[in-house]
Amino acid sequence: MKLREYEAKKVMKEAGIPVPAGVLIRLADELTPHIGELGDAFVLKAQVDVGGRGKAGGILMADKNTGRAVAEELFGKQIKGLPVHEVLAEQRLTIHHEYYLSITVDRSSKQPLILFTEAGGVDIEITAREHPELIRKATPNPLMRDIPSFMLRELVGTAPKEIGPIINRLYRVFIEKDALLAEINPLVTTPIGVFAADAKIIVDDNALGRQGFTVNRGLSEREREAEKHGFSYVELDGAIGVIGNGAGLTMATLDLIEYYGGKAANFLDVGGGAESERVMNAVRLVASVPAVKVIVVNLLGGITKCDEVAKGIIAAGISQKVIVRLAGTNEAEGRKLLSEKGYEMLDTMDLVVKKAVEVTA
Amino acid sequence: MIYGDRNTGVLVQGATGKQGEFHIGLMNAYARQVGGRGVVAGVTPGKGGQQVHGVPVYNTVKDAMKEHDIGSAVIFVPAGAAADAIMEEANAGLTTIVCITEHIPVHDTMKAIAYARTEGASIIGPNCPGLLSPGEVKMGIMPSGLFSRGNVGVISRSGTLTYEVVDELTRAGIGQSTVVGIGGDPVIGQTFVDVLERFEKDPQTKAVVLIGEVGGNLEEEGAKSTDLPIVSYIAGVSAPPDKRMGHAGAIVEGGEGDARSKIARLKKHGVPVASRVSEIPEMVRELFRCRC
Repeated sequence: MKLREYEAKKVMKEAGIPVPAGVLIRLADELTPHIGELGDAFVLKAQVDVGGRGKAGGILMADKNTGRAVAEELFGKQIKGLPVHEVLAEQRLTIHHEYYLSITVDRSSKQPLILFTEAGGVDIEITAREHPELIRKATPNPLMRDIPSFMLRELVGTAPKEIGPIINRLYRVFIEKDALLAEINPLVTTPIGVFAADAKIIVDDNALGRQGFTVNRGLSEREREAEKHGFSYVELDGAIGVIGNGAGLTMATLDLIEYYGGKAANFLDVGGGAESERVMNAVRLVASVPAVKVIVVNLLGGITKCDEVAKGIIAAGISQKVIVRLAGTNEAEGRKLLSEKGYEMLDTMDLVVKKAVEVTA
Repeated sequence: MIYGDRNTGVLVQGATGKQGEFHIGLMNAYARQVGGRGVVAGVTPGKGGQQVHGVPVYNTVKDAMKEHDIGSAVIFVPAGAAADAIMEEANAGLTTIVCITEHIPVHDTMKAIAYARTEGASIIGPNCPGLLSPGEVKMGIMPSGLFSRGNVGVISRSGTLTYEVVDELTRAGIGQSTVVGIGGDPVIGQTFVDVLERFEKDPQTKAVVLIGEVGGNLEEEGAKSTDLPIVSYIAGVSAPPDKRMGHAGAIVEGGEGDARSKIARLKKHGVPVASRVSEIPEMVRELFRCRC
C-alpha cells in the first residue's frame, strides 16, 4: 500500500530526514493561519492515491496573496477522476541541485537495493536506460541495522557528504516500516540545506497489520470485499468473469481469453482447499460486476474438492451463464452435481475459454 | 533427483496444525507408495511428545535431529512464525528447507534467507507448493496423482499452474524428474538459476520446463545461466501494470517485469516460449527431436 506524500514525509521527518515546512489542509480556509510560516511562495499538492498527479494538474504554485484562491481551485478539481480531500501546502525551495535516492527489494540478490544518482531531475527510468553508469548501487546485508560507512561513501561519491546520513536514515525507514519502496525523488540541495522535496513509501501488504494499518487503501471497494473473504481479486474491463484456484492458473486463464480474442472482466483466485461457501461467495462477487456476461470457472483440484466447488456454484444461483472446467479430487461427484442442474462443463481450459469468448462475441 | 530422494528423512515444522497434519498424512501415503522414508519427525513448540499420523513430535528442531536422521524440512507454520522456523532449521544444520507458508512480510524473508546463507542452507519458497521427484520423494503439497517419472525437470513460481503443466506432460507420456515450485513471493530462496544448476548436475534431467510469470527478471537470468534445453511459459500477458496478480511477486512495476518483454528476452536467448499451456508437451517433444 502506497502512503500519501504527507504520511511519507511525516515518517521521514521522524527519522531525521529534513523535509520542507508544510501543513496538511482539508479546507481552503485552513490555509490562512499558516501562510506566514510557509514563507512568501509555496506549493499546493493534492494528496490523492494516484500516480502522475503533477501532469494531471494536482500540483499548483501559490504565494501569500493567491494562496487561498489557489487552494479553493485545487479542492474543486478532480485528479484523474478522484476528488481532492486533502492538500499539502509546502514551502517552496530554492533548488541548487536535484539527486535521486531510492531503496527497493532486489529479487536477484534477495537484499535491499539502494540506488543513488547525482543526475537527478529527470526520469530515473530514462537515466537507467541511457546512462546506467551514472547510477550508483549498493545491496546491504538485511541482517545489519545500519549501512556500513564504506558503502555510504561509495554511494555518495562526489555529492555533498551530508547525504550519507540521509541514505542511512532512509534505510532505517525502509527496514522499520516494512517498505517495498522508500524513495526521495528529488533529494535537493538548497541554500538552507538538503531536503527530501518529495517522498514515496510503499508498505508491504503482508505487513500492514503490524504497521498499524487496518484498511488497505490501495484496493477498490470490490477488491476490499474480496480481501475480506481471503480472495485475490483484480478488476479488468472486459465481459468474462474469471475464477480459478491459484494465482498462476487464474492468470493463465486470463491470458487464454486474450489469446482467443476475448476480454476478461476480472481475476479471482479462490486459493487452495476452497469449500462450497467460499466458492459461492466468489461466484457472487464476480457476478456482481455489471459488465460480466459469462463466468469461466477453471479449477484444478488438488486439495480443492470438485464436489465442494460444484455445490458452491449451484448455491450462488446467479443469472449469468457459468462455464466450468473441473479436474482432480472428487471430479466425478462434482460433474454429476453440475450436470444434474444443467451447467455447461468442458474438459480443458482451452475449451471453456473458447466457449466463453464465443458467448461474449 | 535434486534436493532429496526416497532415503531422505523429512521433518515437518508446524506438525500439529491443520495444514501440517493433513500434509504429513499425504506425504507419508506417497512415501509408502514409493518405498521412501517420508516424514520421520514433526516439530511444534510445546507439543513435544505428541504424535501425528504416528510421527513423533518434538519441541525443537535440534531435539528431533538428535533422534532421527533428517535430510530436509517442510514448514507449515503461520506467516508470523515462518522466518523464525527457517532460521531454527538452518541453525540446527538442515541444508534443504521448504517453506510452504504464504503472506510472510518480505523483510522477514530477506533476513531469514540472509541468515540461512550464513549457515549454508538452501531455502525453497516461501509461498510455494514444495517439490516432488516422482517415484522418490514429495516435500510439500503437490497432488502426486498427476505426476509420472521421467527426465523432464519443471521449475515454477506457481502452484496449480504447475499441476496443470504436469498433468499435460503426464497425459502426453512425458515423465518428470523433479518438479520444483520456487514460490510466488518477490523474494524467494532458490531461484531459477539455483534449481537449473542442480538440474545440470542431475543425470536424470535432460530438459526443463520453466514456468514463470510477471514481475522481476528471474526467468531470464535462469535461462541465461544454463545449457540445458528449455521450454518456457510465462503467465500474465494480460496482466495490467501495478496490480498484484494473486502472488505477492506477480506485479509489473516501474514498467519492468511485464510478460511480453520477458517472453521477447527469452526468445532472443533461443528459448521457445509457449503461448498456451496446452502447447508445452509438443514443444518439449520438439526439444528432444532436435537433440536426436
